[in-house]
Amino acid sequence: MPVITFNKKYLFSLLPKGTTEEKLKEDAYKMGFEPELISEKEVSIEITPNRPDLYSAVGFARAFKNFNHKNKKLKYELGNEEPEFEISVGREASQVRPFIASLAVHGIHLDAEILADLINFSEKLSETYGRYRKKIAIGMHDLDMIHGQLHYNAYEDERYVPLNVKGERRFSEVLKETEKGQKYGSIILGSGRYPALKDSEGAISLIPILNSERTKVTTKTENILIDITGIYREPVEKTADLIATIFMDLGASVRSVRIKYPGNERITPSLETRYLSMALTLAESEIGVPIGSSNIISLANKAGYEAALVGEKVRFRIPEYRLDIINEQDIVEDIAIAYGYDYINPTPIRAFQNGALLPEEKEFDMISDALTGMGFSEEVNTYLSNEFSNFTAMRIKERDGFPSKENAEYVKLKNSKTASLTMMRTWLLPSLLRNLGSSVHDSMPQKLFELDMAFAMLKGKPSEEYHLAVVDTGPRSNLNGIKAVISEISYLFGVNLEVKESDHGSFIKGRSAVLLHEGTTVGIFGELHPEVLQNFGVEEPTSAFEINLTAILGRSMQSGNKKRRKPEE
Amino acid sequence: MHRYEYALISALKNGKQLSIAELLEKTGLKKEELFWSIENLLQRKGIEVERRESESVELTPEGIAYTKDLMPEESLLKKASIGKLSVSSLKDKEDQIGFQWAKKKGLAEISKGIIDVTEKGRDAIKKGTEEGNALRSIAKNPENYFKLMGSEKQAVLNLLDRKLITIKKKREILWVKATPEAIKELSEEKSIDQIDSLDKSMISSGSWKGKAFKPYNMELNVEREKAAIRHPIRMLSKKLKEAYLSMGFIQTSGPVIEPAFWVFDSLFIPQDHPARDLQDTFYLANPEKIDILGESSLEMIKKAHIESWGGEWKEEEAEQALLRTHTTNISVRNIRKVLEEGSAEGEETLPMKFFSIGRVFRNENIDYRHLTDFYQHEGIVIGKNLTLSNLFHIMISIYKPLGLELKFKPAYFPFVEPGVEFYAYSEKTDELIEMGGAGIIRNEITGVPRKNITVLAWGSGLERILLLKDPSIKGVTELYNSGVGWLRNRRMR
Repeated sequence: MPVITFNKKYLFSLLPKGTTEEKLKEDAYKMGFEPELISEKEVSIEITPNRPDLYSAVGFARAFKNFNHKNKKLKYELGNEEPEFEISVGREASQVRPFIASLAVHGIHLDAEILADLINFSEKLSETYGRYRKKIAIGMHDLDMIHGQLHYNAYEDERYVPLNVKGERRFSEVLKETEKGQKYGSIILGSGRYPALKDSEGAISLIPILNSERTKVTTKTENILIDITGIYREPVEKTADLIATIFMDLGASVRSVRIKYPGNERITPSLETRYLSMALTLAESEIGVPIGSSNIISLANKAGYEAALVGEKVRFRIPEYRLDIINEQDIVEDIAIAYGYDYINPTPIRAFQNGALLPEEKEFDMISDALTGMGFSEEVNTYLSNEFSNFTAMRIKERDGFPSKENAEYVKLKNSKTASLTMMRTWLLPSLLRNLGSSVHDSMPQKLFELDMAFAMLKGKPSEEYHLAVVDTGPRSNLNGIKAVISEISYLFGVNLEVKESDHGSFIKGRSAVLLHEGTTVGIFGELHPEVLQNFGVEEPTSAFEINLTAILGRSMQSGNKKRRKPEE
Repeated sequence: MHRYEYALISALKNGKQLSIAELLEKTGLKKEELFWSIENLLQRKGIEVERRESESVELTPEGIAYTKDLMPEESLLKKASIGKLSVSSLKDKEDQIGFQWAKKKGLAEISKGIIDVTEKGRDAIKKGTEEGNALRSIAKNPENYFKLMGSEKQAVLNLLDRKLITIKKKREILWVKATPEAIKELSEEKSIDQIDSLDKSMISSGSWKGKAFKPYNMELNVEREKAAIRHPIRMLSKKLKEAYLSMGFIQTSGPVIEPAFWVFDSLFIPQDHPARDLQDTFYLANPEKIDILGESSLEMIKKAHIESWGGEWKEEEAEQALLRTHTTNISVRNIRKVLEEGSAEGEETLPMKFFSIGRVFRNENIDYRHLTDFYQHEGIVIGKNLTLSNLFHIMISIYKPLGLELKFKPAYFPFVEPGVEFYAYSEKTDELIEMGGAGIIRNEITGVPRKNITVLAWGSGLERILLLKDPSIKGVTELYNSGVGWLRNRRMR
């Protein structure tokens, strides 16, 4: 989640007089944000990604003032003047980055703190809400340096003087040579053309990468032109609204810009008023508290909404700067936050229903308890593995599988960050051997079991099955010992397991067998091959068994299987 | 003379000096029995011994943890060398320790709040730090400690200082020799004057009558019997299941391997949301896709995405096979099932309550602090006129039996509105620890207006509960894939 760092002095200058650090922290928490750090010069707050309107100190202060009923300005309106500028959009833009919005700001008094905050705001917004400038990117220009008619289009590889670069560069060079070009170039690569905003003297911005040096905004800048570009119309235009409100709060005057697309035109920012009406009882019944018609208006104001009672309903005016309000559910949340989560009285649901565990889980629990009773401790290991541990170190070829060739296909990972994790384990014994390998300094005997999932591909679909694996290691470990455990489990749970001698690479030849249940091979046991032991760093003789419990209990849980069993009532 | 003492003196009767190992073999006594006899006979001057004090080195649990991967300063250097890392972004304690040491050792500097790796630091990334190398060398062979005390003294002293290794002083007996008096006594005495072990025949024949029982040393130290135990995460699961059952919840399960559709799209998580990045989620190469065309909610979900998030919604994205990143896939499948199939008794059975406990995955670069597998518990209540205040009550009721008190805070998750984060107070660190998320499921997911159906939902990790409740567990990574020693050192409370 984005952590926004504000200049402390600047932020507090915007908050109501007498606001203490403690109060700031407390209210931020109540509003749903996490104050991370307040140092001598900075205030860092983790702000949820649905509220980019709070990424500027101005926006945050606005919400804070609303929350404390210290803000009188709940609506933002433009005058009736005609748009000051016009940006004509060329046809080629639609193939690369189709949408643009813009606004003109006059009479702004920038100082270093305000400018830094505005830049920080637009960077954070472009990174999070803007998906690293792919969906939204923002550019700020010194309006007085712009000459003539503005055009937005996708152009050939032209030249301009990029921001903070000495001398002209081609667009293609900017992508290769500058930090921003390397970071964001991939957004426009591939089209062969470069989206840019130009005036009569050439490009003022390679979009969405880097502005020009000519139109650089400094603390001396008095008038600003802002461009917002992106791949979807609505987020682009709503962002223009949000930015307009910030500059209005900074005391500047905002003028709209006419965007002439081929075939239609838009005027941005629109600061269009949106209303949403809902019954008061909706908020009350969802939050579970009585609010009352006299309080709802005050709570709405606290959340930044202008609201009015209209008949049975409450009409909310959605603040122009909110990008996240989809429908009434979002308003109910804001009312709940304004009401205060601490004041919501926990209320029980008084309805009867019999609780129930999953039937297999009950059985697994009993099996596990029986094994601990026999002196085996339970391990929990990762489901992820690699071909070496799962197959090679176990002395089996990939095609041999567990417990036999039938389960040959396995689930593979595509993008693991950890190079040694490449697949889902097909059996549990390698995991237990790894546990033993890291326990050679602990006293013998060591007895472990794991009851959990193993994975395979069956007929092109992933299968998820529960296995039980048991190991017994130490100077006295032998085949009969482990066979006795299998017998006891079969006895306790009334399962008939047939033993059939077999030859499996993981075990000593002549000392292993498969286990059959109703004619199907469901498991394997034996004395592990010394080479296997060595591969896992196990120093003492080890006997082991593994069985597929899902196969025995006949309850397969295949992915995507829609007809899932109903839980036991 | 006791039977054990008799065996000991018998082995020494030729007057030779024997080591403990030789005595164990010759007498056939167990270690405790032999040492008990030695102590007894020493008091009675029946034997002489020579003792030696020696030192040996062991890694502490923290030290062991670091050998599994990198020292904190090493992993910090690695991270700082990859991208810009600011000091203020170091929230993790390990990172902070790592940074302190890296700075102290001149491996890193700060410039404008950003951590700069020095030349020496870059060298250390390649070759390992002095401390790191020393620790790994000692882990390989504890004898290396003595060598390193010569060549790398400062590094070893730092390891001691940081409590990554510890010195164990051992007193051992070099040899034991019988005194002439004892040998003489042996020849005169038979060992069966007093009864040592009571056996079956003595009880049935009554032959013990009139004889004395040899007194045992009651203060003899014996090693504790190591109980076989269920894994701590299972013990916690059991407590959670009890809490859910007591409130009438039904347990459910669902696939670990899912198409993105059930893990993300059905939860109204936009297709360009960072949570879906390759960075965080394990996607699969086999199977690469899981068919979703037959899903009844496909059209509804598609429409909700296009209307609310703008732009396009791609089936190919939703089909991608992955390892679930939360168990909410189970909840959303349950929601669909109840809303589509209803229940035999119709609406009378609402509210319905479900829970699940299962494993979830994060695509992490595993080291001593990062895991890929986690456990999550979560639940939903599907009903009419359910409220946020009901949700709070359920959450409190789940955590109360665990001895945890909750605090609620507004939060944002794409699939709930209102959204809640809940916190529990940690006595260990005197702070509120984030436990999980909750909220009322959005209409876009249920496809039904709230006035007809409300779904309360929550989810939380199990590991953080364990960390909070068991001070002996230092970090999440020790929980899984553990050695026998770790299991043997668990306590029940």
